[in-house]
Amino acid sequence: MTWIELAPHHKTGLPISSPLMPAAGVFGYGECYRDLIDDEALGALVTNPVSLRPRTAARAPRIAVHGDTFVVHTGLPNPGLKRVLRHYSAAWARQPLPVIVHLIATTPAEVAESCTQISTTQGAAGIELGLDDGTSAESAANLIAAAHSTSELPLITRLPFEGVERLASAAIQAGTDALTLTAPPRAAIPLPTEAAEEIHCLSGRLYGRALFPLLLHRLHTWVPRLSVPVIACGGIATAEEVEACLAVGAAAVQIDALLWREPGIMGKYKLLKVQENL
Amino acid sequence: MIKRQQALFREAHPAPPFWSVRFELPSPPTAGRFMLADLGGPLREVLFPATFEEGSFAVLVAPGHPATRLLPGTPVDMIGPLGHGFDIADAARLLLVADAAHLPPLLPLLQAAPTVSLLVEAPTRALLPPAGRFPTTVELHLLTHDGSGGHAGTLEDESSPLPSLLQWAERVCLSCPRERYPALAEKVEAARLHPAPRFAQALVQVPMPCGVGACEICRIETRQGERHACTEGPVFDLLTLREG
Repeated sequence: MTWIELAPHHKTGLPISSPLMPAAGVFGYGECYRDLIDDEALGALVTNPVSLRPRTAARAPRIAVHGDTFVVHTGLPNPGLKRVLRHYSAAWARQPLPVIVHLIATTPAEVAESCTQISTTQGAAGIELGLDDGTSAESAANLIAAAHSTSELPLITRLPFEGVERLASAAIQAGTDALTLTAPPRAAIPLPTEAAEEIHCLSGRLYGRALFPLLLHRLHTWVPRLSVPVIACGGIATAEEVEACLAVGAAAVQIDALLWREPGIMGKYKLLKVQENL
Repeated sequence: MIKRQQALFREAHPAPPFWSVRFELPSPPTAGRFMLADLGGPLREVLFPATFEEGSFAVLVAPGHPATRLLPGTPVDMIGPLGHGFDIADAARLLLVADAAHLPPLLPLLQAAPTVSLLVEAPTRALLPPAGRFPTTVELHLLTHDGSGGHAGTLEDESSPLPSLLQWAERVCLSCPRERYPALAEKVEAARLHPAPRFAQALVQVPMPCGVGACEICRIETRQGERHACTEGPVFDLLTLREG
């Protein structure tokens, strides 16, 4: 087995045995897909986004489909970090997989408090910090510094879709161990209405296979310029697309909401690798 | 245990105002439970069974639904059965309540008890399902907003037959838009003194793209806090559903 190191400059590192992992927000906290996805096909488990305090769901509707794409706006509901850790950390500690907790980056103080709780609880092997779309380079540096000030766990920073150029260097200088490129872009899709003259849209994160070429372009542009491992995320739906991301230099890939349609993609990639090795 | 199953598309034909689509499947879902079918779109489609035959089930879908465009014999990848369905236990008098657009998931219950009454509401007579489609053992009560068929009005109106039917029933199963349930819950509370838990069960039809509680899209507000419709429902005790 060849191990992939996601945090080569970190003192303990974050080795994974497969480059595949779910993206934050599509896999729950590790228990949801137990019957449908073979853990051995995964390199790590990334949790749903967690905040220091509980968050309730956005008002419905929370999803709208347009052709082969769809927009999701959930409001990132979660029961709050304390309850998530109390409920799931023991199971994470028993997992053979490293568990990466996706933390919603709010303020440096909240990030510091959250990272303290995560690193003093067994089970988490790393933290992925999800930066908001409007985050400035200075804010990103402050949030990453806050995470490092209270946690020694490897830190991955997920960059917003429009923020790679603005934030990548700042995140690396602030000490992130790896980068996830990227969070889904923002988009809006009209909702069905009874009155033709009324148009209501659902704004949120855009998902779909159309994102894959955009991702590949970003990887091609940015991976050679970045000094930390890059995790690719956005529109990856087949084992061949996983291979393409790795071929342009991504260290690992995250499967986003397309996993809901095809949870078998993880197993198909594993099968592809087994066949290649025969 | 959640299973992936390979279904076979058998046939589709118009059943106004719906289309009836039949799949062969070894383990179809029971009433109120659902399958997630990969029909070629970016998300799986939620399918609630409307009728059963040995080794197959049929769904009623809107015209133009992707299931109506399949070719006979096409294999369809499905996940399920998922969720918690209706539990009518040993009720002898079962009341089914629906608006016509949300009626199909209740159809498997038409013969689930010795005596069944069905109360259906539609904007107008043309949108009511034909009476001949129901077993003759089912007592049919019709409501139209414009009075063109059956009683005039809505389920929540004072003149609706709902209150008297609620007093008659031992168990009630409902399928309506989610936002109507708080008012219908008030009707139950007004008609019954201390109804037993799950006396009235309501099917919540909301998008459920993952079906396993991961995506957080199907969260609904209940008196016990937010719940996942896909794993903790989609059938809930009506009295726990409050304004969403």
